[in-house]
Amino acid sequence: MSSERDTAPPAAQPAPYRRAKETAAAVLIADKAADWTIRAGGMSVIVAVFGIMVFLAEVVAPLLMDGALDGRSSAPWPRSEGRAALIATDENLSMIATVSDSGQVSAVHAASGERLVVPSFEFDGRQATAAAHTLTGNQMAFGFEDGSIRFANVEFKIELIESEARPAGLKPLGDSGDLTDGSSVFTPIATGQLRKVSVVAAVGGPQMIASRQPIRAIDYRVGGPAERPVRAFVTVDAAGVGRLSRAETRKNMVTGRERISVTTAELPGLDAGVAVSAALINDQADQVYFAETSGTVRRYDARDFSNPVLAETIDIAPGATKLTSIAFLIGEQSLVVGRDDGSVDIYFRVARDNAATTDGYVLIPAKSLERHPVGVVRIAPAQRGKMFATADAEGDVWVRHGTSAQLLLKLAPEPGAAAPASLVFAPRDNALISQNGTQFTLWRFDLPHPETTIGTIFGRTWYEGYAEPTFTWQSSAGSDAFEPKLSLIPLIFGTLKATFYSLLFAVPIALGAAIFTAEFTGPRVRAVVKPTMELMASLPSVVLGFIAAIILAPIAESAISAVLIAFGAIPAGLIFAACLWQLVPRATQARFGGLVRLALATAVVLLTVSACAVLAPTLENIFFAGDFKAWVSGATGTSKALLALMLWPAVFAGFWLLTNAVVGAWVMRAMKTPSTAGRDYLARWVVTALAAAVIAVLAAQIVVDLGGDVRGGVLDTFVQRNSLIVGFAMGFAVIPIIYTVSEDALTAVPEHLRAASLGLGATQWQTTIRVVVPAAMSGIFAAVMVGMGRAVGETMIVVMAAGNTPIIDWNLFAGLRALSANIAVEMPEAVRDSTLYRMLFLAALTLFAMTFVVNTLAEVVRLRFRKQTAAM
Amino acid sequence: MTSTSNLAPTASSNLSRTVPAKADDVRSRGEPFTWLLGGALALGCLMIAGLLALVVWNGFVTFIPKPIEVLTENSGAISAGERVRQESFRPAPDVVAKLSATARENVAGNGGYATRFLIKTGNFDLYGEDFKWVADFDVATRSLPRDMVLVERMEWGPLIGRLIGMTVDGTSVAVTDIADPRFVDAHRAARDRWRKIADLERDDIGGINARIEQERLELRSIELSEGRGSESYRRAAVTYESVAAALAKDHQRSTAEAAALVDTNKGFTATFADAQGTSKTVALDAIVRLYAANDLSWFDKIAIYLARWWEFLSDDPREANTEGGVWPALFGTFTMTLLMVVAVAPFGIVTALYLREYARQGRFVAFVRICVNNLAGVPSIVYGVFGLGFFAYLVGGTIDEVFFQERLPSPTFGTGGLLWSSLTLALLTVPVVIVATEEALSAVPRSIREASLACGASKWQTIKYVVLPRAMPGILTGIILAMARGAGEVAPLMLVGVVKLAPALPIDGTFPFIHLERSFMHLGFHIYDVGFQSRNSEAGKPMVFVTTMLLMTVVFGMNLAAILIRNRLKTRFATAAF
Repeated sequence: MSSERDTAPPAAQPAPYRRAKETAAAVLIADKAADWTIRAGGMSVIVAVFGIMVFLAEVVAPLLMDGALDGRSSAPWPRSEGRAALIATDENLSMIATVSDSGQVSAVHAASGERLVVPSFEFDGRQATAAAHTLTGNQMAFGFEDGSIRFANVEFKIELIESEARPAGLKPLGDSGDLTDGSSVFTPIATGQLRKVSVVAAVGGPQMIASRQPIRAIDYRVGGPAERPVRAFVTVDAAGVGRLSRAETRKNMVTGRERISVTTAELPGLDAGVAVSAALINDQADQVYFAETSGTVRRYDARDFSNPVLAETIDIAPGATKLTSIAFLIGEQSLVVGRDDGSVDIYFRVARDNAATTDGYVLIPAKSLERHPVGVVRIAPAQRGKMFATADAEGDVWVRHGTSAQLLLKLAPEPGAAAPASLVFAPRDNALISQNGTQFTLWRFDLPHPETTIGTIFGRTWYEGYAEPTFTWQSSAGSDAFEPKLSLIPLIFGTLKATFYSLLFAVPIALGAAIFTAEFTGPRVRAVVKPTMELMASLPSVVLGFIAAIILAPIAESAISAVLIAFGAIPAGLIFAACLWQLVPRATQARFGGLVRLALATAVVLLTVSACAVLAPTLENIFFAGDFKAWVSGATGTSKALLALMLWPAVFAGFWLLTNAVVGAWVMRAMKTPSTAGRDYLARWVVTALAAAVIAVLAAQIVVDLGGDVRGGVLDTFVQRNSLIVGFAMGFAVIPIIYTVSEDALTAVPEHLRAASLGLGATQWQTTIRVVVPAAMSGIFAAVMVGMGRAVGETMIVVMAAGNTPIIDWNLFAGLRALSANIAVEMPEAVRDSTLYRMLFLAALTLFAMTFVVNTLAEVVRLRFRKQTAAM
Repeated sequence: MTSTSNLAPTASSNLSRTVPAKADDVRSRGEPFTWLLGGALALGCLMIAGLLALVVWNGFVTFIPKPIEVLTENSGAISAGERVRQESFRPAPDVVAKLSATARENVAGNGGYATRFLIKTGNFDLYGEDFKWVADFDVATRSLPRDMVLVERMEWGPLIGRLIGMTVDGTSVAVTDIADPRFVDAHRAARDRWRKIADLERDDIGGINARIEQERLELRSIELSEGRGSESYRRAAVTYESVAAALAKDHQRSTAEAAALVDTNKGFTATFADAQGTSKTVALDAIVRLYAANDLSWFDKIAIYLARWWEFLSDDPREANTEGGVWPALFGTFTMTLLMVVAVAPFGIVTALYLREYARQGRFVAFVRICVNNLAGVPSIVYGVFGLGFFAYLVGGTIDEVFFQERLPSPTFGTGGLLWSSLTLALLTVPVVIVATEEALSAVPRSIREASLACGASKWQTIKYVVLPRAMPGILTGIILAMARGAGEVAPLMLVGVVKLAPALPIDGTFPFIHLERSFMHLGFHIYDVGFQSRNSEAGKPMVFVTTMLLMTVVFGMNLAAILIRNRLKTRFATAAF
């Protein structure tokens, strides 16, 4: 503009009025601002879309990631008399304590390796010949040369001290930040207080058991209530006699003195030459194992304490291999076995019907784990989960998990270090301590989810106490030794089952209704029916769930035979009505359109349903031997009548087609005039139906005589909240969606196709089924897919009506637990970042993926359909 | 084909073999199949109608006062109650064997079936059950005594019996008629005192507690920032002590006032005798409503019916939510939906504007559209999981660490709450708004846009003054549909902030008035909770039906509003088109 002004002639004529053409700054700014805001906002929503997926995946990822080693530290071993009977550490890994065979208790500060002075036991200068401790390590038993036993406690006492009450004269421990008064460790914690950790050790007096021989092997467990503990222990003495003993502590109410009484039973079957290398006893003291280096394991059934029985003798180190180490995993039903060839196996005690043992259980190798390159020397079970560590002769320590059978971490020793003489897990399963005579090593690691692998989540897993590998979802139970069983397969199955049964019910009704609305009714009916259906799609699913669970389930339970019969009776009634309708003169038929037929169909449906309700007792007598629930669980009656009923439509259809093919021309000719055609058609229908019924009954009789039964599988034991109810209730949610989308697809088929077909002489039915439906097929498919997407993700209905039993079976009358319901039920209880929490996120991700696939498929097909119809 | 044969009935047999006529005509018309299709539509319509009828019928009749029947059974047992429903059942053989000859014949004549009905006997505190099945053949006599009274109480469910006396200020008064003015006045006064106590507890005592907590948190935050040994902490601690002492005095005064009222109310009781004669004394202030069920005029019935509706809509729930009102749930649903709209509308519209007006139409936008459609199909529970993990734990946890450190370890925003619920549902419903807005934008003719641009309007001016107003009906429809979807959704809320019983409404008189971090109650969850988790689902059933009707009314109302707005604005703009 400025150049224009410059080149203008000087002042010959007055400059014409010019409007300023600059856009106002405010408008420009607003435009720019809007531009940026909208772009940013739009992008942010798109980012959010993907953010959801990424976030879910990010929470799930640690489930499948390997653990991490946080650090390794070593310190010289506080050399004391003899080998270490126990190594223990406290929950916070501040202190490591050891107990030697001579009763010497020593402790070091874990981070710095500095010695601490702690109280020791007094064995009067004697040396224990055998020692054992409980899994948590705080209860010990020592066996001596003279055959006596002493019990001892070693515990870490943890106190919180206010900063004001801090004792004077604390010295720092290395540069760890911890302080000490010489015997305890003080750690400052976040609240400003000090945590004091000290060792408390106490030992009881000698207890004699039957033998005077030196004790060679011992194992010890404490059970019973805390105020009256029952200590059970098993010993093998130098003479080769195994004994099972129980020590009970009784407090004298008058004197206040405690008395320990020991009862002992001898374990049979140990020959003189047997050198028992390890003895094991479980918490309940009803299982005792003796193992020899050769691999022979003797299992005793000590459920009757006074009379233990040798239940089983097996060889768990076949060939020339030697058994080097054996230990219980927590729960004490599985044994981990290490051999001198480096192999590590897990044995389960499993009930078997054909067991050759006296108690019906057998010890079987359940899992074979990755081998060490050299022989295994030590096995250490974890104190909380099913983790354990194996150490080999070269000093390598591998951390593994018993249930998932995975190798979690490989821990390398200090260069040149010897194989560990002891190996122990820290109480929180977050560190391992090994000791090899000259030094000890502390490995800290973080293994948050050792129990999950792709295999345990999606495959069969063999859990302790189970007869075989299974798909199991059981996330919690009452006991501490309980191991969560987290397989998603039963839940995915539940989702698929609910989806399948609901679609089985919904698709025929929704598609039928859509075709009828689009092709056989006028615009006025459509204007009423369609919005009503659309409104139904917005019905809150919690309402459906409530009605299904509280209203429908009891009704269906009390009238189950009527409900089942209605599924067959309604179509049959409609077909029968159609045949009757043929008798109406053609002219009258033509006068009434779809609305009348719809009204009549409604009447027929209502009539059939009420007929079913009225006839229910009779029908129950005929088909279900008078009591459906007893019948379906296989207790009474035969399935002859129901089988005949199920065969009948098939036989009917076969007959109908056969008569069409063979005598069709003759039948056609017989139906001379249009006025009688309807009557003849009805007659033919009735004759065929009767003939089919006779044949179906005969066929059913033959099948039942041959041992066939429709029960078991899809029809099995009845529970009130079952898949039938879920399918029906979900139908309410899914039918409107499939109906609307497919009805849209049908009406989108161009009118000229219909006109052409009708113009060529095709009937309305022929036009519908041969022209319109094929043209709309992809749209209809998309509709079913969208409906399926909704069914897969539906939550409230399955939570309320499905009974929530995570079982894999197709039984129509059993409940199910779907992914969505499982999340809704268990998420409120899941601790943040726990394994269950992440598993539920995985369930959500699975659900996301399932619907994503289904919906994308629907979307792609729908786009193709749109293009297709546009081209027509 | 048909027409051919009809027009030429004399056609040769040759022709009729190749073109079989009449019967094939029957087949080609596919009559049985059309009937099946029609039956499908009929069944679908019947299902919907049945469901609506079930909910609406039960919802409407729940609050109608029912007569109290007093039944004497053959065994001599007497029970009184409202008849709930009846059904036919098959009595066990040993029961039938004990019946009288005529009763046995009746049962046998019915094919082994007999009728029984469920009566709501109330008096849970006396007999440990509040429902009873009575078989028809067991009933010896039945009567409708005019003095039987139904008492709705604060706890233990209803009481059914006769008034046999009362105490006024500790002295007993012989009153046997609930319409007696002495009784009516005493009851009204006791209820007024009760309301006053509730007000005192909620507003005065609750307010003082909140202020003490506020002071404590301030002290704690100074402790966190300055340390315990600092000068400012010591000073704050002294201030805190004095303020707390002053508040404690207020607290004491209010508590004493409330306690005095409670003491007064203890002197006012009513004693009832049930049908069997067992007497039960109830404090007058614990009686919400009572009426002689068999002695009601039409006017009384309507008055009770309306009063119950009003209580339902405006009161707090009682008895583990199975009685009383749903006001907190209604309010929670409303607040949550409103907040959700505030979050979802701008983002949905902006995204649609971006996709339709700003982004270059290409593969990327097509892909994003598929994603948005996909999001609409993602199960709602997945959003709940995301909301819990991301909003509550991650974002909320961070907010707590930065702003509410003094309250840790108890979470403020780091757990489910109103804000997170609204945002989660906003995420859930944003595809609905995007799709609707996009459709509305694409329906605005290109010519209008071009005209505006040609007149010199900027892009934003065009959008603001030309495109958006014309697209508004569609956008509004989308927003209302999103609201309807959000209001009816329950599953995700179970993870991100809905509770069975919230201690306070999310909006109240204490600063900052809108408490976004509070958990709230919701109609949908109320249905789940009462219908599914309560002690006695039979007792809660009527309540669930009314709540269901209310929720359906809210959701359907919004959907209808969407349709109406769409239609109205459509016609308005249709005339303005050029």
